[in-house]
Amino acid sequence: MPKNQYISPSDAFASGFLSFDKIPLCQYKKTLAQEKKLYTKEDFLRIYRDMRIIREFETMLNEIKTKSVYNGVEYTNPGPAHLSIGQEASAVGQAYCLDINDFTFGSHRSHGEILAKGLSSIEKLTETELYDIMKEFLGGNILKVVEGKQEKQGDVKELAIDFLLYGALAEIFARTTGFNKGLGGSMHAFFIPFGIFPNNAIVGGAAPVALGAALYKRSNHKKGIVIANSGDGALGRGPVLEALNMASMDQIRKLWGMDGKYDDGGMPILFNVFNNFYGMGGQTRGETMGFDIAARLGAGFNPDMLHAEKVNGYDPLAVIDATQRKKELLIKGEGPALLEVATYRVSGHSPSDSSTYRSQEEIEEWKAACPIAAYRSKMVAGGIATEEEFDAIEEDIIKRITKICRMSIDEEISPRMDLDSQPDIISSIMFSNQSVPSMDTQREAEVLIPKEENPRLKQIAGKARFAYDEKGELIPKIKQFGLRDGIFEAIIDKFYEDPTLIAYGEDNRDWGGAFAVYRGLTEAIPYHRFFNSPISEAAIVGSAVGYAMAGGRAIVELMYADFIGCAGDEIFNQLSKWQSMSAGILKMPVVVRVSVGSKYGAQHSQDWTALTAHIPGLKVCFPATPYDAKGLMCAALNGTDPVIFFESQRIYDIGEQFHEGGVPVESYEVPFGEPDVKREGTDVTILTIGAVLYRGLAAAKKLEEQYGISAEVIDARSIVPFNYDKVLESVKKTGRIIIVGDACDRNSVMRDMASNIAEMAFDYLDAPPVVFGSRNWITPAYEFEKYFFPQADGIIDVISQKILPIPGHVSTVNESEIEHMERSKQGL
Amino acid sequence: MANPVIMPRQGQSVEACIITAWHKKVGDAVSEGDLLFSYETDKSAFDEKSPVSGTMLAILAAEGDVVPCLDNVCVIGAAGEDISAFTGGAPAAEEKKEQVPAAAPAVQKEAVPTTRREGDVLRISPRAKALALKTGVDMTRVSPTGPHGRIIQRDIDAALDSGYHGTVADVEAFLAGGYQNSTAVEVAQSTAVGAVQQGQGDAVFVTGGTDFGLYEEAPMSGVRKAISRSMCASLTEMAQLTLNASFDATSIMEYRKQLKQNAEALGLPKITLNDMVLYAVSRTLPAHPYINANLVGDSFRLFRHANIGLAVDTERGLLVPTLFGADTMSLAQIAAASKEAAERARSGQLSPDEMSGGSFTVTNLGSLGIESFTPVINPPQTAILGVCTITNRMRADGSVYPAMGLSLTFDHRAVDGAPAAKFLAQLCSMLENFQLLLAK
Repeated sequence: MPKNQYISPSDAFASGFLSFDKIPLCQYKKTLAQEKKLYTKEDFLRIYRDMRIIREFETMLNEIKTKSVYNGVEYTNPGPAHLSIGQEASAVGQAYCLDINDFTFGSHRSHGEILAKGLSSIEKLTETELYDIMKEFLGGNILKVVEGKQEKQGDVKELAIDFLLYGALAEIFARTTGFNKGLGGSMHAFFIPFGIFPNNAIVGGAAPVALGAALYKRSNHKKGIVIANSGDGALGRGPVLEALNMASMDQIRKLWGMDGKYDDGGMPILFNVFNNFYGMGGQTRGETMGFDIAARLGAGFNPDMLHAEKVNGYDPLAVIDATQRKKELLIKGEGPALLEVATYRVSGHSPSDSSTYRSQEEIEEWKAACPIAAYRSKMVAGGIATEEEFDAIEEDIIKRITKICRMSIDEEISPRMDLDSQPDIISSIMFSNQSVPSMDTQREAEVLIPKEENPRLKQIAGKARFAYDEKGELIPKIKQFGLRDGIFEAIIDKFYEDPTLIAYGEDNRDWGGAFAVYRGLTEAIPYHRFFNSPISEAAIVGSAVGYAMAGGRAIVELMYADFIGCAGDEIFNQLSKWQSMSAGILKMPVVVRVSVGSKYGAQHSQDWTALTAHIPGLKVCFPATPYDAKGLMCAALNGTDPVIFFESQRIYDIGEQFHEGGVPVESYEVPFGEPDVKREGTDVTILTIGAVLYRGLAAAKKLEEQYGISAEVIDARSIVPFNYDKVLESVKKTGRIIIVGDACDRNSVMRDMASNIAEMAFDYLDAPPVVFGSRNWITPAYEFEKYFFPQADGIIDVISQKILPIPGHVSTVNESEIEHMERSKQGL
Repeated sequence: MANPVIMPRQGQSVEACIITAWHKKVGDAVSEGDLLFSYETDKSAFDEKSPVSGTMLAILAAEGDVVPCLDNVCVIGAAGEDISAFTGGAPAAEEKKEQVPAAAPAVQKEAVPTTRREGDVLRISPRAKALALKTGVDMTRVSPTGPHGRIIQRDIDAALDSGYHGTVADVEAFLAGGYQNSTAVEVAQSTAVGAVQQGQGDAVFVTGGTDFGLYEEAPMSGVRKAISRSMCASLTEMAQLTLNASFDATSIMEYRKQLKQNAEALGLPKITLNDMVLYAVSRTLPAHPYINANLVGDSFRLFRHANIGLAVDTERGLLVPTLFGADTMSLAQIAAASKEAAERARSGQLSPDEMSGGSFTVTNLGSLGIESFTPVINPPQTAILGVCTITNRMRADGSVYPAMGLSLTFDHRAVDGAPAAKFLAQLCSMLENFQLLLAK
């Protein structure tokens, strides 16, 4: 909502017609004679070779999957193989235009794209560059396997082709010598040194991720373009449409660039749709979609209509022609772009597909139109090369693929991970656990004003960094340094330290975030580092994933934790998994700030820590004090792992009541995983998660004053990781523990902790670990919240009912076991 | 306040008794000591007298009823008193006090202390159970105040605060009576651990039963480790056997009496029976070179003098100082030297040299009442003499004499049975004629 963009009623109500430009459909008309001016004979033959390599590679996989034998090599592969036989010209045509600065992202059906991009990169890199890449990748482990096994020794490019084919196939066969040590597999293979970014087993999952890589190039002024490859089926997915929209945001060309200082233009991304007409078995044209022509989508996103175009994907030269033009547009700053590449897979969705959804005639007709055979005929007819020359290429390819296949199944040279001798091998890559304060120490951070001139920092300077004065009196809240100030300080410091840091989300700029955490950032940080995103949670989180993959650090915000579901795949499958699926090659320095609401009812008041804590690969924290919030944010921002950073709207203004000396001005870290004893006691332990800390403390005070029971209050602070040492130490002392949080009781983090504590401290317990969370209801209106969220008195009631009966205490809530059994019976 | 009378537990294995007769009726005045009821177990019959005076308020079991031990049988108190707490009928008084506010109808009843009934599962928190076993509090006699009648830590604390001092026997009783799956073996283990415990002051007895896996680690002390190594080596590397004999201790006892009466006047140290045995051993050994010897590998070290090791029980464990050249010492010198060596052992002042070089060892469990035992040889020695207690024995003519036992363990690799027996016989003979021996 920039104030300089004025919305007037007369504009809003202006009469007229909206018109659209024409979208070109298969307009490639060049003759071979014309093309001969652009390509040498070697170029023409290489295009054939690359298509033929992909065809043979996938034929081999199909033979292995369906017959367990290829060319005499016997093997059974239980893993997936989504083949793209028939689509080779589309992949090779696209890759022909790209170099290693251009990043590609793919789908579950991307073997062809990977190989095409790899072969194109091999062609463009020098022999020295190539050899260095192979030597350095995974300590030269893949190179060691393939080196010396070529007929023609000393030819680095030949060696590199073996390297590429072997690394990909070993990955598909889950071997440690695969590109990702076998942890990615067929649907997630990639090779960053060649600019081949991850494929994605989630249909359309790569689109927002690719957008993030483009955002990295755009915000950090990097060379190259990004291509988000997907099938036509993916166009039905929200994240893809969100990515198309977010890439097209007006602000990129209208507001970014620091008043002309940078002229990077639009988002350098090409959404490339390999339209093979089927999303698995669903026919997109005529059945599951209404677009008729996929390129039509471009008209919906911006006045440029995304430069949309449809091209014949069975003609590699047509694809090259179109892709080259799109690339030039993007480099000129006129992105984003959309290209529909019409193609067809004659193979099934997977080898088990019996093609019940299409006729045999249709398949046969497409087979007859085979892009490889057609290209070869055209070349022979045009006098480019003879049949014998093509035969020789083909023979060489079959020999090569047979050799690669044999090597990939050899247990000696291509072993699988040994989880017997190295049981922690996967544990060791779930998190990268590094401390990298700046992702790019070479560049200065781009900012608008010196940090000391920041109006928010000036305002904060007058605040009390500890909640109590020297006499121990509580300072008025308005004068206290609040939790939101702690988060702000950590973030603005990082903005000046790490030039790659960007932050975005809904209403972040100008407004300062819905809860004023970012007030003061607008004045300091330029648009291309700090902006308002569209209301597109999937694209917000997904793009942060791609931004980190490309080498940057991002903080994204979901205004309410309740919106986690809108970014479900991006949090649960993308953010959490790429570090480990890449065998530790990728880092994921992304902080997702999520705010837990109150007062706003059922869809705006939920603590969903359990959903994120359940997913392996995410760090999760929920600080409740300014000191902890700032320290954990510093730790999150120095780290290289994805963090879901929960904040509570109940306590954004709370001052620091615990850390003596108050919240330090300088940066410091609160380590992840360490709970903190906020109040010492001897009779019962109250473990709190998030803002309920203050209700836990109130309960402890009342227990002491009214009943002489000394309660120890421990603030979990982190949820993943979580070190139980302090909690167990406390339980060994008190023998009793209640775990309290605002999340709904069932399947909550509290339940998980209770179960762990029962196992780990059983012999010390004087009562079972007891959980007191919210009811398994919708969150009612604010006026009824005390019936829903745990309150201080309720904590005492539960202690008296289940742990330590308190003589004379009168309960107001019924949390008895019988009551819980009854509720459970009813699903409550 | 009304007092319940319980069915006493007559022996640890008794779970219930049959009431055979009531001697009072409800409403009867009862004086302390009055006969209340008669009952029997499958082995014996008993009468129960009233522990208090008052009025018989309730009789909870009729004649012929089988009543679990420790259950209430009747209630005695002032006429008209509320006895519901003992009869399990109306809610307990504590509960009644808890007023439920009308605004909060779903109030949960707080748990109220109850007496455990036979057949109930004993509910006790792991923490309380561990504490009960550690302190010996009988869990079956503790009033639970936790939720659902669960005994919790504060209940055990309360029992201890009220002056309850449990014993190992209490725990044993609990294990025997309170848990179906506790076996005699486990009980035996638990008492055995308890007994061992007394000998090792620093570790804490928790439990030996499989139901209660709690224990505390007590690391082996250096001395213990040395003893362990030495004793294991002794028993695994030698061919040991023990000969037991006894001798008429009249002579040495008589001599000791004389010494007691005159020692002060003569300026002699306190001389014990053990000193006399040491003296006799020192004079006997030189004639038995393979018993006054070390066996190292395939060769013997036949000592010219009797270097007698003296087994001393200390807080840190068994220590064996050596009395070098005991055969050259007078009885008074042996007494003084052994006393000093024992004191130095107990105060930890012995040097390693003082604890090696022995040619033979004497150990004494007689003062602890042991009648015979199998001492373990202190390697590389070839024999050890155990001194046992004195028992009265009868001669063929009916007269009684004090007999002191001697247990000689020897290494059959070094010495055969006959020469060892000859040594022991000669030793006995010398001790029986101690005053003659003194001339030696």
